[in-house]
Parts: sequence; C-alpha cells; structure tokens
Amino acid sequence: MADKIDLLDIEVWDGNMAASQAMRQAQIDVVAAYPITPSTPVVQNYSTFLANNQIDGEFVMVESEHAAMSGCVGASAAGGRVATATSSQGFALMCEVLYQASGMRLPIVMHVVNRALAAPLNVNGDHSDMYLGRDSGWIQADAFNAQEAYDLGLMAFKISEDHKVRLPMMIHQDGFMTSHTAQGVKTLSDDVAYNFIGEFKPMNAMLDLDRPATHGVQTEEDYHYEFKARQHHDLMTFAKAKTQEVFDEFETLTGRKYSMIQEYDMEGADIAIVCMGTSVETARLVATDMRTKGIKAGVIGIRIIRPWPFEEIKEALKDVKAVAALDRSSPNGALGMLYNELAGCLLQNAKPSILSNYVYGLGGRDLTKDNIKQVFTELKANADTGKLTTPTQQWISLNGEALNFF
Amino acid sequence: MLEIRWYSRAGQGAVTGAKGLADVVSTTGKHVQAFAFYGSAKRGAAMSAFNRVSDEEILTHEKYMEPNYVLVIDPALTYSTDITENCNEDTVYIITSHLSKEELIKSQPTLEGKKVFVLDCMTIARETIGRAIPNTPMLGALMKVSEMYEMDFFLENMKRVLKKLPQKIIDGNMLAIQRAYDEVN
Amino acid sequence: MAKNENNGWNDFDIGALLFSFDKETKNIATTLQEDRPYSNSNSFTASVADWRVMKPVFNKEFCIDCQFCWIYCPDMSIISRDKKMIGIDMDHCKGCGICVEVCPTNPKSLLMYDEHLEDEEALIAAWPAKEEK
Repeated sequence: MADKIDLLDIEVWDGNMAASQAMRQAQIDVVAAYPITPSTPVVQNYSTFLANNQIDGEFVMVESEHAAMSGCVGASAAGGRVATATSSQGFALMCEVLYQASGMRLPIVMHVVNRALAAPLNVNGDHSDMYLGRDSGWIQADAFNAQEAYDLGLMAFKISEDHKVRLPMMIHQDGFMTSHTAQGVKTLSDDVAYNFIGEFKPMNAMLDLDRPATHGVQTEEDYHYEFKARQHHDLMTFAKAKTQEVFDEFETLTGRKYSMIQEYDMEGADIAIVCMGTSVETARLVATDMRTKGIKAGVIGIRIIRPWPFEEIKEALKDVKAVAALDRSSPNGALGMLYNELAGCLLQNAKPSILSNYVYGLGGRDLTKDNIKQVFTELKANADTGKLTTPTQQWISLNGEALNFF
Repeated sequence: MLEIRWYSRAGQGAVTGAKGLADVVSTTGKHVQAFAFYGSAKRGAAMSAFNRVSDEEILTHEKYMEPNYVLVIDPALTYSTDITENCNEDTVYIITSHLSKEELIKSQPTLEGKKVFVLDCMTIARETIGRAIPNTPMLGALMKVSEMYEMDFFLENMKRVLKKLPQKIIDGNMLAIQRAYDEVN
Repeated sequence: MAKNENNGWNDFDIGALLFSFDKETKNIATTLQEDRPYSNSNSFTASVADWRVMKPVFNKEFCIDCQFCWIYCPDMSIISRDKKMIGIDMDHCKGCGICVEVCPTNPKSLLMYDEHLEDEEALIAAWPAKEEK
C-alpha cells in the first residue's frame, strides 16, 4: 500500500509537478516513458514517488518515445491505468502509436508539455506538437496554467476511462511558461482526489483469462471505415458529453469551473481574441484593461481542442464583430489551424465576424501585453469599419521586415 | 504587483531561490509566480529567474518585466549582462560582490544613481553552507532590504522549504540567511 | 476479420478487438480445442481445407510419438492426445508438408499425396518399405 502525502491547501508547484501529483493521486499502474525536455520532470517526479513508496505501480524505461507509447498501449490493453508524458520530437516519434492507442480505444492519459519542433532545434514552448496530434483520435484538453494542468490531470482519467468513451486523452500545457513556472496550486487531498477519479474498471483486458480478446485486429475495405466511423462518433458524442459531466462534477467538488471553451469578458463583446495556452491568461489581462477604456474586448480560450467545440464557438462569436485567431504554430503553407477551424464555425452564423489570423510565439518568443494590445487595436479598426483593415495573416513580434499573407 | 528578476549561473540555485521565495510568500495568502530562462541549459551558463507576487491572481505569462528588485547572485554577471534592462528609477539592485558599494558602482558605471545594495553572497555561502551556492544568502539580503517579512517568520518557512536536505545543510542555510541579512548594505 | 453483412458501424465492440470465445471460459488451457466455445470470428471456426493441393497421410504403424510434427506444424493441425499422435485436423491443414519433412522415422510416418486420392487405406497398404542405408 502506497504512503500518502499530506499536501498544503495551496502548494507552489510548476506545471510539471502539478501533472506528476495528479498522476500520483490517480495511483497509476504503469508509466512507460522516455523523458524529454520540458516534460522530463513529469515522469521524473513520478519515478521519485515510486521509489519513495508513494505509489503502487511500475515505471518502464524504454528506448524511445515510440516504444514509450507502445508500452502504454500494451499495459493499457492488458488492463491497467496508464499514463505518460512527452514533448516535441518525442511526441512526433510517438505519432504512429497515438493512432493505435485511439483506434484500440485505450484510455491512456498523456501530459504533453508543448514545445517547438526542430529544425532549428529549440526546447521552448509553442504549439507545434499539439497541432501535430489533432487528427490522432485523442481527446485533447489544454491547460493555461499549473492549476489547470493538475485539475485536468485528475479529470482526464475519469473522462478517458469511461466505458462508453474509452479514448486516450492528452492534457497540454505550455513548455516552460507553464511547465517550469511555479504558481500556487489549490490541491485536493489524496483520498478526495482518488475517490473523485475512482477505481480503474478494466474493459476487455488482455489479462482477463476468462474472456481472451485479440487486440489490434486487421480490417481492410470490409470494416475499417465502420471502425473509424464508430470512433469518430464516440469522440463527438460520448467523449464530449462525459467531459462536460466530469467538468460539472469537478465544479461541485472544488468550485473550479471548466467548460469546452473558456469565455472571459465576452459579454456584449465587439472584438475577441481566440487563443490557447498561457496566452489566454495574458490576453485576459489586456481585455480587462481594454474594457476599462470602454472597448468591448473579450477572450476565448479553447479548453477542449478535440472534440472541437463547434457549436459553443459559433454561439460565443455570433454577435462579435471582429475576431483574431492566434496560432502558436507555423501553419507552413496555409492559414493557421485556429483560423481555419474558426472560419468553419463563423460561416454558419447570420453575421459572420471579420476574422484575422496572427502567428506568434514560435520557439518560445515572448507574447507581451503590448503585442496583444496591438491585436485588439487592429480588431477594433476592423469592427469599426466593418471590413478587414489588415492582411489576413500576420506574423507578430517577428524581427525584420513585416511578414503577412492574403 | 511586485516583480523580481534574478541573475545567476545555472547551478547556483536561482531557480531554487525563486521557487523557495514563492513558496514562503504563498503561505501568507498572496499569489506567486516563479520561473526561469535557461538559455543553453548548461551548468555555469548565464541565466535569469523571475518572481511575481500579487494580492490578485497573476495572469500575465509574458517574460517582459519591469522589476522592482534585481538580484545578482554571480559577481561577474554585473559586468557581462545588462542587469538594468527594462528597469525604472525605483528598481532596487542587490548585488553579490567582494567590492564595497562605491567600488562596485565605480567599476560598473551603469549603476550610477541607482538604488544599489551590496553583499558578498559567495563568501557567506562558502563559510556557512560550505559550498558557493549563493541563493539563500540573497534571500536574507532581500528580506532586509525589502522588509518583506520578519526574519523569524522567514527562517521558519525556509526550514520547511529546505526540509528534504540534510540537517547540517539546513543549519548552514539558516546561518547564511541571517548573515546576509546582517551584512547587506 | 470475418465479414458479416449485418455489421453497421454501430454494431461492433469498440476497439479493434475480437473475442476468441462466445462466452466466459474457465480453465481454457486444459480444455480440448473441440470443447472450447470458439466464436465465429475465431480462425478455428473457419476451414482452409480447400487451400490444399497435397495432403499429409498418417501411418500409425511407424510413428514413435516424438511429437516433432505437433511442434513444427504452423497451423496447429496435428492432433495429439496424452502425447500420442492420433491424426490430422484436415479443416486447418494447408498441406505445407512440414510435418513430413520433420518426421524422423524410417520409413516416414507421414507422407504427402495428391489431395484427390481418397482411398487412404490403399495408400497405407502401399506404404514404402524401410530404406536401407
């Protein structure tokens, strides 16, 4: 039996420690991992807990991230509660197995500490790896700070392991800006946290010798399409419903409210920034500041990236005149992912907002309040004139000549 | 909001210092933030760490900072780094050096007219902790200069923050904090 | 996987998995194959007999029950009970001939014949004699 840890009501944790503590409190059976900056401390802390008898489980050191996710797939199919963490290049190497995990409907929880993708090599935070995973069939949640990495880290097991859902879940946090930034985190006691998550209930476990199952079967044109349709359906319906249900339960328990999208200062907003990660919080500050100057500015943070909150965004933006999509990943030959996804939502509104796209913060480039103020100023001009007054896509805080497209 | 910027070399404990400070401040009900930039992430490389303290929830995640305090725990960084970047006239500098305040300002004229405090964290750390880890002495100096907390309260809380270390090291750190508090000027 | 015309996208078990048996089983390892409740999607319920061009014929007279054929058969088609070779599962044998290759007796206890030769008694009656070396 693992020893418990008496936590303070508010612990000063960085995002990595917050994620590790959520993993500890969930009493994971297996972590298979290949540590990589900036997510290294997530699994390093876990192995310390294990060595200190603060968890009953197994830490499997493997030879690559591909093997790490493969180990997670094996352990999860065998019938255990499984989690891991990765970043950047490691995430990229895992990609093949991510699709196996979701197709096999294995409820693996993974903390993805977002970091840029090489080349050039860079250890700092942007959303390139997060974007890379968005068609992999995983539920993707985004934490904007350490508190949320902890909260979502607890909730993820409850969502993912539900027998109708049974889909793996990633919790994203910004490399360094969240992962290495210590802030006050309101904690749950070990017992309260574990009771909230609940016992792991195996389903079709390979180690259930009374009902042997073959996992990872082959289907060709006969049924592959039907399997994928079922998976998409369950992600769109069951995963979404369960996520909301768990958010509600968590709010009852802690008073902390989570929703598919997080709206800040959006009441009667004329202009809005839509973004993810720590930028959401910095943008909130600027929006509040704008409000004091009589400019109706708001911010929407995307909490659940997959399944994409189409209806919620449509509704939230229906009366907003001008919207900026902030993408922290190089679109490499297109408008940013958020721009395109938002455009799809806006298209169905009676009066679609004027939409513009800002690429920012690649490789950890600072996003300052001044940068955000500038975006709001441009949005206001769009709203006032009723047309796009800037190029559709701009690269902000970029050294050298201005770069923009369309 | 109170903002603090640390200058250090990787391995000298600026991150631990910043996080330790955040930990202590957090127990008083204030909101805190502690983070760092690692640059090339090798021991000995110049790096900076940051603290924010506020009565309100801290939402900003920008790295840009106009600090109230600049803490320099490696003597050479006063010369090789622009420690006055984005500072204002109220910014207070606490700098580790074997020089006197006058000698220091003479050797680095950009500090002319600034609010500068000096102490020798390196010597204090070596003589109390036994190793040149200048982070906790700097916190003692900060307590003196900022009058942030009563010394007894701060020492008690630092004992809790450092509780995983061997008792001898904890005792050394307590001495270091007290000496720095007494010696900074 | 086995195709069933009634399987729409919402009719499958979730996950890319198939169950070997239709119901819960106890002590499956000690249950003989013919007594196991194999599901329709298990390969045991499918016959590959028509894949064969040649078939192995078993002559009990020379068999020493060494179990080589049982170990080497890639389709688990050698039927052995209490470590005695008793015959071949002709639903799953594909006629590869490996059992004949590994049979150590002289003459061999297993030989390959054309699939269409039906009179096995006649084949056994005309079994080759011991080879002198």
